[in-house]
Amino acid sequence: MSPFGWALVERSARLLQGDDQESVLGDLTEENQSAWRGLFEILNLFFRRQAFLWWNLKPWIAGFLVVLPSSYLLMYVSVSVSCTYARLVYHKLLLGKAYTGPEGYFLLLCHIFLLLAWSWVAGYVAASLSRRTAWVSVALAVATCSWYSPQTTWGDLSIPRILFFLFVPPALLGLWQGFRGVPVTRNVAALLAIAITLLMIIAWSRNALWSLNWLLIWPAWCLVTIAGKPSLVAAQTN
Amino acid sequence: MDAGSDYYHNVAIIMLGEFEYLLITAASGLGDEAYGASVREEITTATGRKCSLGALYTTIDRLEAKGLLKTWMGNATAERGGRAKRMIRVTAKGVLAAKEFYDAVVRVSRGAAWAENQAGRDS
Repeated sequence: MSPFGWALVERSARLLQGDDQESVLGDLTEENQSAWRGLFEILNLFFRRQAFLWWNLKPWIAGFLVVLPSSYLLMYVSVSVSCTYARLVYHKLLLGKAYTGPEGYFLLLCHIFLLLAWSWVAGYVAASLSRRTAWVSVALAVATCSWYSPQTTWGDLSIPRILFFLFVPPALLGLWQGFRGVPVTRNVAALLAIAITLLMIIAWSRNALWSLNWLLIWPAWCLVTIAGKPSLVAAQTN
Repeated sequence: MDAGSDYYHNVAIIMLGEFEYLLITAASGLGDEAYGASVREEITTATGRKCSLGALYTTIDRLEAKGLLKTWMGNATAERGGRAKRMIRVTAKGVLAAKEFYDAVVRVSRGAAWAENQAGRDS
């Protein structure tokens, strides 16, 4: 195998986990396979492993029941928080009245807390449920945000586009912590879920919560069911 | 029978797939020399068909998850560019599953023309 071919094979082998990388590259060296054959073998194994992961329900739940709806809804929540903030602090109406209502400072703080909590929980739960398919979850979030990009669906943009993505930093933090297996105790998860539920009820009772936002409650309670379980740590190898 | 023993009973009687049987049999025949490349070569020689590393390693994982194989990383060798082998050992449960598969094939083959011919040639 030429040095260039071998470099290509070694680079593609990074797609595999540590032990797989070691044994597959060793096997290919021992069998003196060509670079193309080696590349084919590695990609074949990688795609089989990825396909195998999707036989489990967890990646589907993480991607399509947590990340997809959360990223779509949290974009709207980000805009709503920005508009309320601009109205209260700068006395400016951004994007008309559609994204801000009768909220005062208390409800603004409620919304800010909810935005941070919803985003972090969604990221953490998605990564905890299925670490090795976390990249698919990220791709789904990016696709959702691109599909509903501000330019195409929000009409006249009078606010910086970054305000549509306020949810991204806490979501990425949650994703990273879930990915690293940072433990969350059942008590902390329950406290967080209860706080989120109470604040949502308060916001809902004052007409300051969009009905679809109730979908954002379920990752928080999902976190309660998976928090503190040994399987959460074991899931890091899945 | 409690739930646990019922589960293991059911696992024990699940029939192996053809490739799973080939892999266990090849690994068993190679003994202490069973690892990815050697098992692949054994299967290729025996069947005349190339088996991909993807099929091999995903099947090894599946059989290990069922408790039919045990694997571990062996020593690195110069022949492999200083990389370790993934060593394979067939467990007692794996031997039992392979024997059940083999017995089933022999039983179902009784009366088949090719099996009759084979028996005639052997005797």
